[in-house]
Amino acid sequence: DATRGTSGDCQPCPCPSGATCAVVLTTREVVCTNCPTGTTGKRCELCDDGFFGDPLGQSGPVRACRACKCSDNIDPNAAVGNCNRETGECLKCIYNTDGFFCDRCKEGFYGNALATNPADKCKPCSCSLAGTVGRQTSCSQVTGQCQCLPNVAERDCSTCQPGFFNLQSGNGCERCNCNPIGSTN
Amino acid sequence: PRPDVHPVAPGTHLLFAQSGKIEQVPLDGYNIKKEEAKPLLHIPDRVVIAVAYDCVEKKVYWTDITGPAISRASLSGGDVSHVVTTDLQSPEGIAVDHVARLLFWTDSMRDTVEVSKLDGSQRQVLFDTDLVNPRAIVTNPAYGRLYWADWNRDGPKIEMSNMDGTERVVLVKDDLGLPNGLTFDPDNQQLCWADAGKTPLASVRDSQGGVYGSSPQAEEADRRRDPVPVRALISFGRNLYYTDWRREAVVAVDRQSEKETEEFLPQKRSRLYGITATSTQCPQAYNYCSD
Repeated sequence: DATRGTSGDCQPCPCPSGATCAVVLTTREVVCTNCPTGTTGKRCELCDDGFFGDPLGQSGPVRACRACKCSDNIDPNAAVGNCNRETGECLKCIYNTDGFFCDRCKEGFYGNALATNPADKCKPCSCSLAGTVGRQTSCSQVTGQCQCLPNVAERDCSTCQPGFFNLQSGNGCERCNCNPIGSTN
Repeated sequence: PRPDVHPVAPGTHLLFAQSGKIEQVPLDGYNIKKEEAKPLLHIPDRVVIAVAYDCVEKKVYWTDITGPAISRASLSGGDVSHVVTTDLQSPEGIAVDHVARLLFWTDSMRDTVEVSKLDGSQRQVLFDTDLVNPRAIVTNPAYGRLYWADWNRDGPKIEMSNMDGTERVVLVKDDLGLPNGLTFDPDNQQLCWADAGKTPLASVRDSQGGVYGSSPQAEEADRRRDPVPVRALISFGRNLYYTDWRREAVVAVDRQSEKETEEFLPQKRSRLYGITATSTQCPQAYNYCSD
């Protein structure tokens, strides 16, 4: 209030340098209006959308706001709220990835979430329902191997091992028991 | 009235979200009166995404993903209040049916399309299947219809249903990249969208509530151009206004000539999100939801 005629009429903005501020008349609350890039909040104490950190060190050491670090598995433009503004936990992983940094494949997918080409990232497990233990849909994150029932083969548990048959039983494959003399193989 | 809320003067304004605030800028005809831009609302601890306007009560509705919450305020004097605060994760799109007094929104983490009365009561989930990244949503009050876009990279699509959730159909799925913004032009019964991943602005016409399709000529022409970095758009008269994430600007495009007519760079340089227009007239309409 510059009209009272005291030395305390005008006070510096409680904002980082470069920011301007304004007083909300009813509450007399001071609000920063032009926070530095990547920061926001009444005192520029928060990180803007797409950034994370703790610019004023309100819950620990000061961490300047940095862009979300999500292993190139977010869409920085099309998506909003890509990471938690304080912890940086990634919230909008794409390409079937998951995890704090979108650094692993999500449940039901396998491959290398950190591969550069999206097509090489995470592929669906596609486990064969009949050949997989407990009809699971998840597989090994790295190899993509589904957990096969006894005598079932292939990554996706889709065929019987040589010499076995009846995958559709849902209990694994049975031995063929062919007579070696009358069989060709 | 709250002093941090600047009342909107009579006449049409653009309202757009810029992180912790909603800005207003008047239109003089179709020209943006840049020097008269000012904040409508300061919400510094929130990230405002989508904005929608109710021309009957002259209120602005918005989604914020930090609350998360859906809130509203009047254009004349504040009255800021929360409408929905529970069971929200990432509310990103919002639309108002001014005729039936309904609010629609999308949630890209719950993967839902939801509806309630304008005060948040009688809330219902309209859809919770076959949704991956639903964002933009608009209404066609005259036909009681709802349109929304899902920018799922593995199967982007624009869908339509009646406002009661019946007759859900996929309107567009071919030649889509990242369908980001949607707007409905009631004068021409035309749905326009912005595709941030592939072709720029395109549209389909709602012909008497049944036949849909995209225009082959438009698509052919569009393929030769670069994608437009659009976050949200609004159709107003002969113009489209959109928020551009590369330039951090509000851009005006003449729909007929498909030429950019104006660019408005807000004083604060940070991300722009939803945009809407507060037109002075409220289109007269009636639909089955208003019973």
